[in-house]
Formats: sequence, C-alpha cells, structure tokens
Amino acid sequence: MDLIMLIVEALIIVYLASATMLLIRVIRGPTLFDRVAAVDALSYDLTVFMALLALYTGRLLVATPMILISLWAYALDIYVLKFTEYGEMGE
Amino acid sequence: MTDLQLLLETLKYVGAVLLLLGGFFEITGAIGVLRMPSFFTRMHAVTTSAVGGTVIPLLGIFIVSLTKVELGWSRVYLALLCIASSILILIIAPAGTYALIKAASASKVGERKELASKVEEEPCS
Repeated sequence: MDLIMLIVEALIIVYLASATMLLIRVIRGPTLFDRVAAVDALSYDLTVFMALLALYTGRLLVATPMILISLWAYALDIYVLKFTEYGEMGE
Repeated sequence: MTDLQLLLETLKYVGAVLLLLGGFFEITGAIGVLRMPSFFTRMHAVTTSAVGGTVIPLLGIFIVSLTKVELGWSRVYLALLCIASSILILIIAPAGTYALIKAASASKVGERKELASKVEEEPCS
C-alpha cells in the first residue's frame, strides 16, 4: 500500500477518536460555554475529516462543504457573545 | 528519474510530515478538552486543536493532493478548497475563541473565582 494512503488511513482513525472525546465534552460540559467550545473544535475536526475522506476514497467532490462547516462555528461564537453581552441576537 | 518526479516525491514526503504533525496536535488538543479542569484552560486546548490540528493538516492535504497526478484535474479543486479553508480558519478560529472567552468572562462563569481562591490557599514557599 502507498505510504500516503497509510498515513491518511491512520489519521482518519485519529480524527474519529478525537471527535469521540469532543462529543463526550459536549454531552457532559458543565456550562453552556464548554459545550459551544467543544462544538467549535468538533466542526474544525470535521473540516479536516472531510478532506481526508475525499482524499482516501478518491471522490474529491465530497469535500465541497468544508468552508461552510468551518464558518458555522464562527457564527455560533458571535451569536453567543451577542446574546450574553447585549441580551439580544442583533439584526 | 526526471526532475519533475523527484520534485513530486519530495513534496509527497513534506505533505506526509505535515499530516503526522497535525494528527499529533489534534489528539493532544482533544485529550486537553476532555481532561482540563476549568473552562479557561479548556479554551487553550481548543485553540491548540484549531490552529495546530486543522491548519497544518489542511496544508498537508494541499501538498499531497497536488502530487497525486493520477486523480486528474479535480485534485486542483481539492487543493484550492484546502488552502482557502485553512486561511479562513487561521483568521476566524482565534477571533471566535476570543469572542467566546469575552462572553464567558462577562457572564461570570465562576470558575475564575475558584481558580483564584485555589491560588490564594496555596502556601507561599
């Protein structure tokens, strides 16, 4: 097997394991902010995971929504900041 | 072996090193998010996992997918996606973390007080 494919296969397992750890933190996080931070890390994790999956399967068009997923996390952060700071969601 | 094949082999190993480095940062960041004691220390692990574990392997995939010639022209599409999203994440991940920490410290989560009291209780050496 090719060296790159071996590394990509190992990295898919690493990203699945770290996604499991982040999901545990999302479920048992004591405050809201812990959950939001873990969801941020989970979405950044998912971005790389989609690119790795596209490279592994050879279907490169799978990785199209990468940018959208990485931008949702930023919108979540900004909405939490607006709601706790100003008490409204803003326009 | 021509010069172009030599260049492709070298770039492939550079991409492999970047991918392995990113995997190390990602797994350490996830362990930190799971095991750190308070919110403000967990945010440090989240930022480490975002910048070290996302931007570096996306650069690695950019290089690796450019060197896989047998995939055809759609490899350029994947490479452009990876470089664009890595630049975006490099900009928005510290900004989002800063916004979240500002929200948490404004709404008085309380863990900062616990940390401060723990520091005060320790005897001075």
